[in-house]
Formats: sequence, C-alpha cells, structure tokens
Amino acid sequence: MSEEVITTVTEIVAGEFGLPVAAIGPDVDLSTLEGADSVKVLRSVAKIERTYDIELEDDQVFGLKTVRDAATLVVSTLAEKEPSGGGR
Amino acid sequence: MSTPIEVPWRVLPDYRCFGCSPSNEHGLRLEFTHAGEGIECVLRVDRTFESYPGVVHGGIATTVCDEIMGNLLVLKVGNSVFTTTLRTRYLSPLSVGVEYRCVATADAVGPESEPPYRAYAEIVDPDGAVCVTAVGTYQPATAAQVRDRMDLTDHEAELIENALADLRKA
Repeated sequence: MSEEVITTVTEIVAGEFGLPVAAIGPDVDLSTLEGADSVKVLRSVAKIERTYDIELEDDQVFGLKTVRDAATLVVSTLAEKEPSGGGR
Repeated sequence: MSTPIEVPWRVLPDYRCFGCSPSNEHGLRLEFTHAGEGIECVLRVDRTFESYPGVVHGGIATTVCDEIMGNLLVLKVGNSVFTTTLRTRYLSPLSVGVEYRCVATADAVGPESEPPYRAYAEIVDPDGAVCVTAVGTYQPATAAQVRDRMDLTDHEAELIENALADLRKA
C-alpha cells in the first residue's frame, strides 16, 4: 500500500482529533485516542473523501478502526475508480 | 460584509425559488456572497424547519447544500444547471436558531469545462466545525431545455437567457 496514502490519512486524522501526527500510528485503534468520538471519525472520513474525491459507503466507514484500515479503503476505492478499459 | 450576489433569476419579477428568493415567505431566503473561488451563505432557521425538537430537519441541510452548489455552478458556467446526483454526509446535527455558514466550491469548473459538473458544499458551525458535507453532480440545460422544462413566458425566457449570457461574458 502507498505510504503516501497512510501519511495523508494520518495527517487528516491528526488534524480532526487535534493530536500530533506522532500520536497516531497506522495500527492504533482510533477509538482509544484521546478525546475520540464518532463525530471526529466521521469528520476525518469526510475530509478523506474530499481529498481523494471518492465516496465511501457507510458500512465501510463504520468498520474502520485504524489509519491503515482507512488507507486500505482509499486505495481500493481509487482502484475501482480507474477506467476498466477493454473497449475496442 | 460582502455585497450579496445577484443570482440571474432575480430578473424575473415573480421568482419564487424555495432556496434563494427573497419574496418566497415559506422559503429559506438564502443570500450568497463571494468566498474565495466559491460562494457562501448564512443559514439560520426557526422551528418551521425542525425535525426533532430543536434540530434542523436534515432535508433542509441537504437543500441548502444543493441550492448553493447549483447557484455557484450557474455563476461559473453561465447556464442553468439541474442536479443529477446529490450526496450528503451528516457529521453532527444542526440546531434551530444557530447561525451556520454554508460554503460551496467547484474549483475544477469553468466556462469551458465539460459537463457533468461537480461541486462541493460544507455547513460549518460558529466554531468552524464542519457539520455537513455534500457533493453534487449537475448537468447544464440549453436555452431550449430551459424553455421546455420551466414555466416561463417568452419574455421571461429571454430575460433569463440574457442574464445567463451576461454571466458567460463576464
């Protein structure tokens, strides 16, 4: 997976949670972060969607536990957006 | 404070848009101002638009986002646009009586852009926290489609087309 996506998602989550980037490892359970609540997670998701111009489904969003989960979802969603080709 | 933007529909003497007409007593009467490359409006509603006690109806939040994104695109491309898809993400409820700001952007859209056009909107609370985000996709309508889809006299259609043409020249 792209380290760049993990870095970007980490920065977004850190910004929405009001925490330093260093406090958010890729595998840290977001619900254990200081001041964690579902609104902060949703705000992070909204910013991730805007940053990558993607739309994530709620059943995917509410299953996210870590930055790595979110980054994996971003990468797979971006891959689905790629033109499938194969026309003529 | 910025001067309100004159939306092109104001050339119609009996314009009643639920979102932005100042003369629709049942409407939201939104006034738009420039905000960087986008536009913004203030949203503050009373209990007329309530869902749960003290909570603004979610449909109103979506309507405001749609309204501001659509108007932004009209101003950018100089054509009427119709919504084709609209997606809203509610992050936290809006409260009745509180003054929110709704900001729309469509950085990638200009007069030469190919449709469909994509725009974004956010409703932000007084502390700057985002409460609602929306993304919409819009298709432009030709003058003939406008004439066909809207209930306009020939004179009104001409007024609208002239106002839109002025936007395209700007």
